[in-house]
Amino acid sequence: MLSFKGGITPPERKELSNKMPIQAAFPSTKTVSIPVTQGGAPNQPIVKVGDTVVRGQKIAESDAFMSAPVHASVSGKIKKIENRLTSTNTDALCIVIAADESEETDFMPKMDPFTVSKKEAIQRVKDAGIVGMGGASFPTHVKLSIPAGKNIDFVLVNAAECEPYLTIDERNLQEKTDALIDGLAIAMHIADAEAGSIVLEENKAYLIPNLEDAIKKAGYSEKMGVVLVKTKYPQGGEKNIISAATGREIPAKGLPADTGCVVQNVGTLIAISEAFREGKPLIDRPFTISGGAVKEPKNLIVPVGTVIGDLIPEVIQLDKNVTKILSGGPMMGFSVMNANFPVAKNTSGVLFMTKEELSLEEESPCINCGRCVDVCSCRLYPVLIVKSLKMGDTKSALKYGLMDCVDCGTCQFSCPANIKLVQRIRTGKTAFRAELAAQKAKQIAKEGK
Amino acid sequence: MAPSDINEIYISSSPHYKSKSSTQKTMLTVIISMLPIVIASIVIFGFAALEVVLTSVISCVVFEAAFQKLTKKTIRINDLSAVVTGLMLACVLPAGAPVWETILGSLVAIVVAKEFFGGLGSNVFNPALIGRAFMFVSFPVAMGSAWLQPGTDVVSGATVLSQLKAGTSVVATKSTYLQFLLGNRAGCLGETSIALILLAFIVLTALKIIDWRAPVAMVLTVAIGTIIAGGDVILALLSGGLLFGAVFMVTDYATTPVTKKGRLIFGFGAGLITFLIRQFGSYPEGVMFSILIMNAVAPFLNNLMSRKYGYEKDNKTPRMVQKSSKKDTK
Repeated sequence: MLSFKGGITPPERKELSNKMPIQAAFPSTKTVSIPVTQGGAPNQPIVKVGDTVVRGQKIAESDAFMSAPVHASVSGKIKKIENRLTSTNTDALCIVIAADESEETDFMPKMDPFTVSKKEAIQRVKDAGIVGMGGASFPTHVKLSIPAGKNIDFVLVNAAECEPYLTIDERNLQEKTDALIDGLAIAMHIADAEAGSIVLEENKAYLIPNLEDAIKKAGYSEKMGVVLVKTKYPQGGEKNIISAATGREIPAKGLPADTGCVVQNVGTLIAISEAFREGKPLIDRPFTISGGAVKEPKNLIVPVGTVIGDLIPEVIQLDKNVTKILSGGPMMGFSVMNANFPVAKNTSGVLFMTKEELSLEEESPCINCGRCVDVCSCRLYPVLIVKSLKMGDTKSALKYGLMDCVDCGTCQFSCPANIKLVQRIRTGKTAFRAELAAQKAKQIAKEGK
Repeated sequence: MAPSDINEIYISSSPHYKSKSSTQKTMLTVIISMLPIVIASIVIFGFAALEVVLTSVISCVVFEAAFQKLTKKTIRINDLSAVVTGLMLACVLPAGAPVWETILGSLVAIVVAKEFFGGLGSNVFNPALIGRAFMFVSFPVAMGSAWLQPGTDVVSGATVLSQLKAGTSVVATKSTYLQFLLGNRAGCLGETSIALILLAFIVLTALKIIDWRAPVAMVLTVAIGTIIAGGDVILALLSGGLLFGAVFMVTDYATTPVTKKGRLIFGFGAGLITFLIRQFGSYPEGVMFSILIMNAVAPFLNNLMSRKYGYEKDNKTPRMVQKSSKKDTK
């Protein structure tokens, strides 16, 4: 079985929601709160309070190449533009729209991805505001703009969905198979890739016949296939999925394109298909509602900006005490202070966790057991990074892999002493980046003289 | 209002999920793996062994609690690490070691070797071995020359290794090997039952509590050295504290490297020094000093890393992909 070295097998808890079809929902307040920036460079609102907007209309953008515009997900009136709690537990500028009853939409004209130029196709992906829907929300048009001199062999569909609890990719794979395959074909066309592979964890092997049928029906049997990888966290990490599926490694400080691979999430590819075939920007977000405190875990699709609190109790019922609210999965998701945050383009799940599912234990002294070293998904030395950071020895921390860490959390998951390894490594990374920036600024100032 | 709004909501950095492992469980596993060895020693040496075990374990726990109380730290005897140290110390002492000497040894092990260095996980040297080394040099009579023969109360002269050292010829027969394997010989408590030590090694390795690298490297090094020197390999492996040290001491978390290559070199170094002391030194047994010497080197050995993701073997150059033209993913 294809896999990578290291990793963990946490309880999956996908059975809670993986049989539930994706169901459309709408906030009870008929109001959405859309963050102005959802991946990429910071955007500016291009609408004012009091404006009437139509579903699909662009409401925030930026001139930067690294940015993805944001669109109105409902038709209605702009009520407020203000800072509000978002899914990363930080306040950010949001555009609040009160929906009216209108069914009107303002989508882009349909476009045939295979006859337009690559430049136009990439522009369409940007105009549709598509970002990585697996969680990272990296602008997709940037990923598809292959740097000169790099050749892409494979587009990998990241359908590993290795985060526990989350089942939205699993549902999309069976409910929107054709759109997914169309999206993959478009991505392969734009990136000039030879082949496309849908990479599944073994726990979703039951989907293979369906997927292969759909590929055959679409006439892509020649260049598309399904690859099965071991069910293991973080199999869906970009570094790990590439090495598992192709045996190649992203070079340190390099890009996936350096390995001849482009990795796209299931949801992202479906959004790409819709952007061309329907002219629809990324304004609806399918995601999983789960966790031990949820009465009926399920998969939903809502307009981007839907505040989770506005789905309680009409759509989401809680029947136990909630200890943590997570946006994303339990391994890499954010804990949020309350449920009044909007669903963003990268929200793959919202989990209401009980005390029993979590670990709230205090840190105890590190016993130096080295388990974090054994499980590290990038073969780094978490305990040694953290000890070096503690001593202020950045050089050693770098040597042990500080800047190569992907924050997957396997080390902390396995730590018998509950050491907050990831948090410390993150702090170390931020400090090091600040140091670099300061050095650079100094250099520029010097040269300026 | 949703129920979530009236509850106490926790905020933290990811990950929010945690395996069921804990320091206490890890220590408990080690204790359980040592129990057969301890029980066997009590069967072999009788009350004298039980006395050493109880004295050592109780005083280690008491000293740890007392020190933590005195220095106003959180009392952490629940993590069971002091029990492990106590058992380890008992296992490297001869049956019949005087109670007051054992108490002093425990004091040095817990307070000097462990707590003075910052407590659990921060100690540089193996506490049990420091305790033993202290007793070894302070009370040479009780520790080095008077060994209790199994099943008797008679204090006899020497162990096989000290006989070898003194030049007395030891002719080993198959039954000698068997007696050694079963533990029916003079020696320290835990060192004698070789079969049970091997069992513990298998269990602890299977449970991923310990890594096989350092023990195997150490034992192999001693074996190869003995072959080159023309000694009795089986006797060299079965005698003294070699196997106990290899399984329980060179796998001690705090005082050995965490990198895999570092562990191999650690085991190799400990094996080499053991062999050299046995062969050329004035002490009959080298395991204790070899491990203590390597403990000092351990932090440096963490520099020996395997290849990190995305790097070449030097761990500095980014690994560029050599694209074999048109490779298929399947």
